[in-house]
Amino acid sequence: MRVDAYLMSAVDGIAYGLLLAIAAAGLTVSFGAGGVLNLAHGTLIALGGYVAAAISTGTWASLAAAVALATVAGAAGGGVLAAATARLRGRRGHLDQALLTLGIALIGADLLTIAFGPDVLRPQLPTALDGTATVAGHRYPVDRLAVLGIAVLIAAAGYVVLHHTRAGRLVWATVDDRAMVAGIGVNPAVVDATVLVAAGALAGVAGALTTPILGVGPGTAETTLLLSLVIVVCGGLGSVPGAVIAAVGVGVVQTVGVIAVPALAPYLLIAAMAVVLLARVSPLQGEVGS
Amino acid sequence: MTAPSPARYRRGVAALAALTLAASATACTNSTADQDTVRVGLLVSLSGTYTTVGEDMQRGFKLYLDTHGGQLGGRTVELVVGDEGDGPATAVPAAQKLLERDQVVALTGLVGGATVDKVQTLTTDRKIPLIGANARPAFAPVGGKPRDLSYTWHTSYNSDEPGIAIASYIKSQVGDGTVYAIGPDYQGGWDELRGFTDTFTKLGGKLANPDGKATFTPFPATENFLPYLNKAAEAKPKAVYTFYAGAAAVGFVKQYRQSDLKDVPLYAAGFLTEGSVLTAQGAAATGIHNVLNYSPTLGNAANQDFVAAWSAKHSGQPTTFAMASYDAAAVLDRALAAVDGEVTGPKLNEAIGKVGRVVSPRGDWQFHPTEHRPVQRWYLREVKPDGPVLSNVLVQDLTTLPTT
Repeated sequence: MRVDAYLMSAVDGIAYGLLLAIAAAGLTVSFGAGGVLNLAHGTLIALGGYVAAAISTGTWASLAAAVALATVAGAAGGGVLAAATARLRGRRGHLDQALLTLGIALIGADLLTIAFGPDVLRPQLPTALDGTATVAGHRYPVDRLAVLGIAVLIAAAGYVVLHHTRAGRLVWATVDDRAMVAGIGVNPAVVDATVLVAAGALAGVAGALTTPILGVGPGTAETTLLLSLVIVVCGGLGSVPGAVIAAVGVGVVQTVGVIAVPALAPYLLIAAMAVVLLARVSPLQGEVGS
Repeated sequence: MTAPSPARYRRGVAALAALTLAASATACTNSTADQDTVRVGLLVSLSGTYTTVGEDMQRGFKLYLDTHGGQLGGRTVELVVGDEGDGPATAVPAAQKLLERDQVVALTGLVGGATVDKVQTLTTDRKIPLIGANARPAFAPVGGKPRDLSYTWHTSYNSDEPGIAIASYIKSQVGDGTVYAIGPDYQGGWDELRGFTDTFTKLGGKLANPDGKATFTPFPATENFLPYLNKAAEAKPKAVYTFYAGAAAVGFVKQYRQSDLKDVPLYAAGFLTEGSVLTAQGAAATGIHNVLNYSPTLGNAANQDFVAAWSAKHSGQPTTFAMASYDAAAVLDRALAAVDGEVTGPKLNEAIGKVGRVVSPRGDWQFHPTEHRPVQRWYLREVKPDGPVLSNVLVQDLTTLPTT
């Protein structure tokens, strides 16, 4: 009976973790590959969430439109960030980028609150997704199962693109040696911009996927940025597999951990992060130098 | 809504600055007050986590003014609004501005318990009555001395009262069965849950929680309640009692209906389903029994007028937050009418102590002579459709608190 209950929470933790992985993937890619420390990442996730919540009205068509438009909105936001940070590259360093993106994040969060109001919004889902399914004798929400499936697909696609396609290799090459990339006829600035747009699109889709479960409100941008940063730091900067492993770890800590040792629930996440950082003597697989 | 935790979410400075500017501009253009005009300060959250509650309170107070020709006690009221934000960091400077620059004769509103705790000392020092319309904290002693509460009034309730009011009803429903108690891990959550668990166990009730104590979830970090709910289901409780407010209330209710607890009756402090959160919860909230000092479906004449006036101006139904702020205006109306000549803080405060029975949408109430908060009825409500919308429909009276 006890093990059984933890099993369900573990499944929930993995689903939750994979959601976080998509959210963090954009951040890790834009830092590791695009070289931009993007503190407006959480704001892009919130933007995707708000767009999805506003558009989804309970039909499958509106749900598809919501996810698509959230992705587009995120990508557009990534484009804005790419344009804004392009001039700061190189000489000006990461601190200036961080300050700029933090400013954009603060302004963006306020604009979102003005546009969508101070309440936490949730999209209306088609009835088929709104119910519960019985898994191993327990109820489990169908929407989370669906998100679990989509998250696996996106994580796999992200890994393949980044590690097994020409586009992915160009991204890594740009990080390592910009002059060489220019030498083979590719403008590295275009690669940078493309990475930020793709990271924005990932943030948008992550926002759309999390909204039905967690809602989207004035606190979303900060919460998701903090969780994404924890995941990116634990998983190794720029590493997609590392981010996925770390995200699932965070998910499980926040589901199984909090009911296994309830007294420590508020500190578990940060404690786990500290343990990972102290214990990790060598970078996780896939990590690139930053 | 009870005492919120300290500010957690950073917000744009720009919006706040704009509001402050707007507020001070209003004050400057109207500085030629004569004896028939009084200036009243309304301090509520117009930005931050509690914006919805703050706006509701502002609407409630303004509704009273608008339905009474902009006058309280025969005097024209100049309402100066300040932004409380997420707590004392923004609220204290705003309160100081209202008290010093605007020289208000009374201060009302105040969403959060932490704000009340700090602002209360400012108003007491200046002998200006504070008529809080929401959270009333425990007022810990300052410098070893008990607080001077002679200038502090509330038209709301104490945070432990909802739980106290509903405990015996829940005991009668579960019989020998157990109840699982769960809430958010901050002062407001502890107070709300303690009200229930203490009273319930005194009546011979047993908690289903493994250690016999209420379970608390990290606040505001908890967004995924499913692990807690599925763990609670293992204890096989006959019912669940909870308190959450705001965004957490929406997440909790939605996920409750997706968990193994789905078919276990859910009882709650009424804030769980009060106001805009109910719209967001939708059908998942149907059937929740909850306790509060107000329901928009109360049949008394004052409430019918109140609901009609509210509906003419705003979408949705009035909340207990709006109602308590409306009543703060009603208290000021009666007290100001009793003040002769120039209105000063001490004269107004003395008059507030003598307002007697207040006719209110919640049913008539009066101030407790020493506690300075309402002696009032508490109601059992059930979430169900009221016409086209979901509402907290009155089921029955529960009890009158405080009893001593």
